[in-house]
Amino acid sequence: MSEADHEISRRELIASSAFVPLAALTCSSAAHAQTPAAHATETALSPAQMKILEAVVDRLIPRDELGPSAAEAGAPIYIDRALTGPNAGEKQTFVDGLAALDAFANSSQGASFTDLSPERRDAVLTAMDNGTATGFANSQQFFNRVRRLTLEGMFGDPFYGGNRNFAGWDLLRYPGPRLVVGPEEQRMDKLPEPYRRSAYGPQYGH
Amino acid sequence: MAIKLKPVDVAIVGLGAAGGMAVLPLARAGLKVAGIEAGGWLDPHRDYHADEIHNNVRMLVTSVSKTKNEVPTFRTSPEQRASRATSNRTMMNAVGGTTTHYDANSWRFAPWDFKIRTDSVGRYGAAALPRGSTVEDWPLTYDELEPYYDTVEYEIGVSGKAGNIQGEINPLGNVFEGPRRREYPMPPLRDTGFTSLMTSAAGKLGWNGHRSPAAINSQPYAGRSACAYHGYCDTGGCHLGAKNSTAVTTIPQALKTRNLTVVDHAHVTRILSDGQGRVTGVQYLRGGKEYFQPAKVVLLGCYTYENARLLLLSKSKAYPKGLANNHGQVGRHYIAHWDGREISGLFPFELNIWYGALAQGVVVNNWADDNFDHSGLGFIGGASLTVNHELHPIAAAAMPLFSRAPSWGSRWKRFVNQNAGRWVGVYAQCTSLPYENTYLDLDPEAKDPLGDPVCRITSGSKENEPRARLYVASRAEEWLRAAGATDVIKQPLSSEGPNQSWHAIGGTRMGENPETNVVDKWGFSHEAPNLGVLGGSVMGTHGARNPTLTIQALAWRTADHLIRNWKSITG
Repeated sequence: MSEADHEISRRELIASSAFVPLAALTCSSAAHAQTPAAHATETALSPAQMKILEAVVDRLIPRDELGPSAAEAGAPIYIDRALTGPNAGEKQTFVDGLAALDAFANSSQGASFTDLSPERRDAVLTAMDNGTATGFANSQQFFNRVRRLTLEGMFGDPFYGGNRNFAGWDLLRYPGPRLVVGPEEQRMDKLPEPYRRSAYGPQYGH
Repeated sequence: MAIKLKPVDVAIVGLGAAGGMAVLPLARAGLKVAGIEAGGWLDPHRDYHADEIHNNVRMLVTSVSKTKNEVPTFRTSPEQRASRATSNRTMMNAVGGTTTHYDANSWRFAPWDFKIRTDSVGRYGAAALPRGSTVEDWPLTYDELEPYYDTVEYEIGVSGKAGNIQGEINPLGNVFEGPRRREYPMPPLRDTGFTSLMTSAAGKLGWNGHRSPAAINSQPYAGRSACAYHGYCDTGGCHLGAKNSTAVTTIPQALKTRNLTVVDHAHVTRILSDGQGRVTGVQYLRGGKEYFQPAKVVLLGCYTYENARLLLLSKSKAYPKGLANNHGQVGRHYIAHWDGREISGLFPFELNIWYGALAQGVVVNNWADDNFDHSGLGFIGGASLTVNHELHPIAAAAMPLFSRAPSWGSRWKRFVNQNAGRWVGVYAQCTSLPYENTYLDLDPEAKDPLGDPVCRITSGSKENEPRARLYVASRAEEWLRAAGATDVIKQPLSSEGPNQSWHAIGGTRMGENPETNVVDKWGFSHEAPNLGVLGGSVMGTHGARNPTLTIQALAWRTADHLIRNWKSITG
């Protein structure tokens, strides 16, 4: 098959809407269609939902002497963008989970989650974590999902909106992606200097 | 009506680890080959990123469209309704196939792997064979495959240290390996603080710790760059072409002969056969049109699930139960490799394994194969144990807690701050056998968007592999502690084995007996004489090591057999 044939068939494929399901099958890697997450303007969560999420992730990874909290590092932005694009399929479950969380905060602690003291917020999250919280489809599953997405936001590349100022990588003492790694950087007696840079360029992460 | 194309000598379905290897000897021999691949050419700049979210979380390199729609279903007994398996992380469509994203560990299987049945009965008696196992000896020996291992190692470029050159043993390499004719084409990947630590810890225990063989250039090789050790090539791809993928090694070489045509973005739907039972060619969809590619010989070279599925879907008058399936063996003897990283150790010092490649590791083979006395142990086989570089930050933050911290909050934060760079998991790969209760067929309900059933995995309970895993977990703990680990944690395993594995094999097993095997000792169908099968699906047992080099050596051998017997095979 020559290059020219390939081009023709690609054009045909685009032109013919009747073949859309087939096009989805035979088209190239999903990677090609990836929207640059950092440029998204659409949001999945409402301002009120974002406030709850920020309060939750800030108990999972709080601000302390070791550095910024998950919300300060932008983890909720990562989560919101994920739910807008690549994880859109779980958006509804996530929104329902946040609503159940706030309802459970009200029923068990007598106030909305964001109005509770840190200790009472922890009591809500602990009940979700051990599966005793009520009013959820599955509180443990939702808790684990929030925790997992928080890790992705906090410790993933800042290109995606989290890990601001490389707070996550600094916390782990992960030295950051480098294009070339020499023998000096693979020793055990001396750790590599942190290279605070996104894999997508110096414009991300600040 | 399908558009009929000009006939070719050989149509190969799938240009991955296996098909992408077979094209080279065939094209060099002057045969006209059409390589029909569901994916396209990947572009290192556009498609590969040093980004854990891109590669590992969202799996944007591996989970491309066709395979995403064909994730097998899974159940643990024939009474159950199967549900969608958790992921299809291994299968992928691209020129280069799974070698795009594999970690490039490039092992030869041990001589013992080829004759497990005979050797186990001979040493331990007939009762040593696991209950319900359908294990047979391979229809070839290690010595018969050795020349092809050698050819492939030099063709793709493997870095490593030989442990046995024509009987001369060198403890810097794997002393248990079968004799090889010569040294690896390149020395092992870079030694690091961590690899030195783990090699000497193995030595303290009296074990043979040695470096992983890797199809990654430790120095410039065949016009391709040396590894830059930045990592992110596992589940990703190599920016530099330093890691083998058939898209950068054998396929470009085959294209140079002008005898290979790569047909990309082509979804093969059926292999057709005539009333005499000979295959006539391949039907595929491309760019919204249906084509028929006539061929004198068809070589099926997809991932294990798709090899079995495509045969079962290709029914005809001569093959009412699916192509090459008149003996009902397609899908039988399926094996998901028992491999995993369930044993982790916590150290009181930094390991600095952030960078480098997964294949930049240290391996112990003392507890693999029949390298130790199994009397009274209740299992045969064992596992290779590997520790390696390339730790990504999200995975590090999700580290095991060793009962030392809660999983969130300030105490957790302090724990990962201290320990994210101080732990490592041991990767154990276990000898894995075929069983009566473990097989592939077509799912009666789940379908792909074309309406074709997806593959269904049935995987019943086993005794041998869980016992072996339990045993080697203790050896892994000894190794970690000898290296200085203060805490070791072991996660439990199920008795059915993995749902899907990175290493899925079997389903079109190779063997002399047509009653129990789909292909003969050369990889050609016992029923359709001009149909060959390439890939892990022909393997009858899984050794305690990564399968790709063996898959590639077998593919080269099948191609070589075809060239030598062209007249008799094409009739």
